[in-house]
Amino acid sequence: MVWLTGGSLGLCLVMIFGLLALVAHHGGRTFWPRPIRLVEDLQGNVLLGEVTESDSFAPDEGLLASLPEEHATALRAEIAAGDGEVGRRLLRTENFELTGVHYHWIDDPFVAEERTPEWALVVERRDKGRFYGFPTGFLVEGRRLAETPPAIWEKLREHEGAVLERFDRALQLEEIDLGRANRAMNDARLELREVELDEGIDSAAWRAQKVEHDRRVEGVQAEFERITGEIGRLRAVNANYQLELETVEGQQTLVGVADVVRAVPVNQLGLHDKLSVYLDRWWEFLTEDPRHANSEGGVWPAIFGTVVMTLLMTVVVVPFGVLAALYLREYAKQGALVSLVRIAVNNLAGVPSIVFGVFGFGFFCQILGVGIDELLFSATLPNPTYGKGGLMWASLTLALLTLPVVIVATEEALSAVPNSMREGSYACGATKWQTIRRIVLPRAQPGIMTGMILAVARGAGEVAPLMLVGAAKWAPSLAVDLAQFPYVFPERSFMHLGFHIYDVGFQSQNSEAARPLVYTTTLLLIGIVVVLNLVAVWIRARMRRRLHGAR
Amino acid sequence: MERDHALTPKRSSDARGVALASAMTERTESRTPLIATLERAETGRTRPGGLFECIAEGRVFEPVIHDEVATDEAVVEVDGFDLWYGDTQALHDISLSVPKGKVTALIGPSGCGKSTLLRSVNRMNDLIDSVRIDGQIRLSGDSIYGRGVDVIELRKRIGMVFQKPNPFPMSIYENVVYSLRIDGVRDRFTLDEACESSLRGAGLWDEVKDRLQNSALALSGGQQQRLCIARAIAAEPEVLLLDEPCSALDPIATGKIEDLIDDLEGLYSVLIVTHNMQQASRVSDNTAFMYLGRLVEYGPTESLFLSPRLKETEDYVTGRFG
Ligand SMILES: Nc1ncnc2c1ncn2[C@@H]1O[C@H](COP(=O)(O)OP(=O)(O)O)[C@@H](O)[C@H]1O
Ligand SMILES: [Mg+2]
Repeated sequence: MVWLTGGSLGLCLVMIFGLLALVAHHGGRTFWPRPIRLVEDLQGNVLLGEVTESDSFAPDEGLLASLPEEHATALRAEIAAGDGEVGRRLLRTENFELTGVHYHWIDDPFVAEERTPEWALVVERRDKGRFYGFPTGFLVEGRRLAETPPAIWEKLREHEGAVLERFDRALQLEEIDLGRANRAMNDARLELREVELDEGIDSAAWRAQKVEHDRRVEGVQAEFERITGEIGRLRAVNANYQLELETVEGQQTLVGVADVVRAVPVNQLGLHDKLSVYLDRWWEFLTEDPRHANSEGGVWPAIFGTVVMTLLMTVVVVPFGVLAALYLREYAKQGALVSLVRIAVNNLAGVPSIVFGVFGFGFFCQILGVGIDELLFSATLPNPTYGKGGLMWASLTLALLTLPVVIVATEEALSAVPNSMREGSYACGATKWQTIRRIVLPRAQPGIMTGMILAVARGAGEVAPLMLVGAAKWAPSLAVDLAQFPYVFPERSFMHLGFHIYDVGFQSQNSEAARPLVYTTTLLLIGIVVVLNLVAVWIRARMRRRLHGAR
Repeated sequence: MERDHALTPKRSSDARGVALASAMTERTESRTPLIATLERAETGRTRPGGLFECIAEGRVFEPVIHDEVATDEAVVEVDGFDLWYGDTQALHDISLSVPKGKVTALIGPSGCGKSTLLRSVNRMNDLIDSVRIDGQIRLSGDSIYGRGVDVIELRKRIGMVFQKPNPFPMSIYENVVYSLRIDGVRDRFTLDEACESSLRGAGLWDEVKDRLQNSALALSGGQQQRLCIARAIAAEPEVLLLDEPCSALDPIATGKIEDLIDDLEGLYSVLIVTHNMQQASRVSDNTAFMYLGRLVEYGPTESLFLSPRLKETEDYVTGRFG
């Protein structure tokens, strides 16, 4: 029996750690700069890229026949001597807009020559993905200022700071100032529309509002033009700085310096430089918006969405669950009805999560949201404000989903509070509510926290229902925006790491290229869930300590 | 105060007390001298034998109430009190008065309804749905079960300590001032004062004064029970109900609690349930003997132990029965 139980436990541990190790291994190495290899095959084709995978296969006769005679014989001998297989590697070559593919398999027997050229660059571009190639020139206003790679590199370093500054400034103008002007315009229009809805289009109020509206629109228009002009100027200056690159096949292409997120001559880097590139990529991943259809850049909006949604869910579900459990355990007369309710609650925990998603969509978005829109946001109709998926509805849906967990855990915690405590409190002349608030709840708190931990664990990892109630593949405007009144926008759709994994892994046009990111995002999601749980566990441990007086 | 853990009826002559005590502690080996001592008290017996059968069969009988207890001023008066748990009657027509400023003990075999009677005084039985009562209990003249009585207010006038120490999961300080807190007292000074005086009253102050903010659950069992007593007296109750306060404690802690009850005498009216004869005789002024939900004999502790009027009482206090 010891062997059986111990074996089962061991198997569980192996599976859990195996999973974690796999995810950590794949996810952790995604950002490590790997050497850029130039591979020439027997037909004289050349490829440039980094090896992302390697395995082996058994070559068939057709393949062997296509080889030159002496190679084929040598290979046959090699195969006969070995296990019948030869190696092959997956080379990430990119330059997608020129070649139309991201990856190439190269079979080891076909490789004629292989090296790691010193000036092979990997250029991470802002919106076209990666480029593998060699620098051939640095252009300012069309004039070629540098020709040799070291000189080009020098120039790039020299100018990239100023270019980046202009780029950021333009971005800021676009996102904040232009956004503000847009909203002012929108507000003016909405106010006019409200007056129209309230008073009618022929009223004096409407005409007065119309004059006001026109005056404001005029002001905004001028502002608008000033900002767009400024943005255009900055972009135009930046467009003067260009990097000329050449693919390994000799095709040339121009890349604006402003479009270069990162250019790395990997083959020249020592361990220290590689590490700094690695960390820099991680930092970008954690803090930036996604680029290039989610397959590049960061996942900050998804991290934010996941954490905020989980916290919001917790804030909703814990009080509700605790109150419901209190009623069931402390107030309701124990009997058949209460048992029935209890069974129903327990069964609710087994309902597939997508069902909650459908309910959330049908009830929150379609009924509540549409109702709120009609009442408070009638001016923006038919554009929905609350009548669609959003952070708040997603949190409420998940709160509903995790409610049984909290109720069951809380009930358990409440029933574990000894009756002698309650009696002691009543004997002191406490009312029922005083007893619950001062004695029962504090005593049950660690148990309630356990429920909360379980709810967080379940809620943070849930994806299916979110697709129906507001998770989006691309939602860069966060639900909290300090630059914009009223600063929180619970109605906005949001990004979620779980959904992001699904989107990147299965929905993007090149899921092969995105696979490393899938692992990394998974690693991040696991990390976040673990961190959220650790925080809760830590709080619970503190509560326990305080309760039992061991300091 | 040192005391030996022997049967020492209060204010009895020392020589006799010691003789009785040694006889009772070693009652298995040498019962004869004890019975010889008690033989002299046979005068008042009304119904020789057969009373327990009489009770068990449910026939009516008059409990024996000694005249001395009737004269004291009563703080709790139980008057013809019946109580049912569902269909089973647990208390039958109990009438007894607890004198003010004295310690009254309830003794009797386990299951005879001592706790039930005690819990009826502060209406803790209200928490049990199946309980039904008849008759009256009065606290300082106010009816407890009258219509429109505020149970919460009533319980504030009565302190209760339970069999198992039940300190609340909070600091020592908060435990003691709990009843003031639920009354909404916020004033730091009042709370501090109540805390100190109650802890001193419960003889716990010196042991815990440096760690008032520590959790009460970290105290030893005996300390916890004294803390519960401090909590009960913090509200300055008119009566203190103790339900076998020492049964979960070791002998040393028991001795401390007994000393404490001695000190409380005069300041509080105490009603204590115990099934330890020695304890009843040591701490109480009056003792009531109950059997199967009925009061059998009630009188000053000394006479109940040394010269019981009923043979059944004698049998019980000497340990021949129960
Ligand atoms: N909550 C209850 N429900 C039903 N019967 C009870 C309950 N509490 C006590 N009783 C019964 O009432 C009788 C008296 O119990 P109790 O007052 O606890 O006795 P004692 O304290 O003298 O040992 C016992 O027969 C017991 O079984
Ligand atoms: Mg009892």
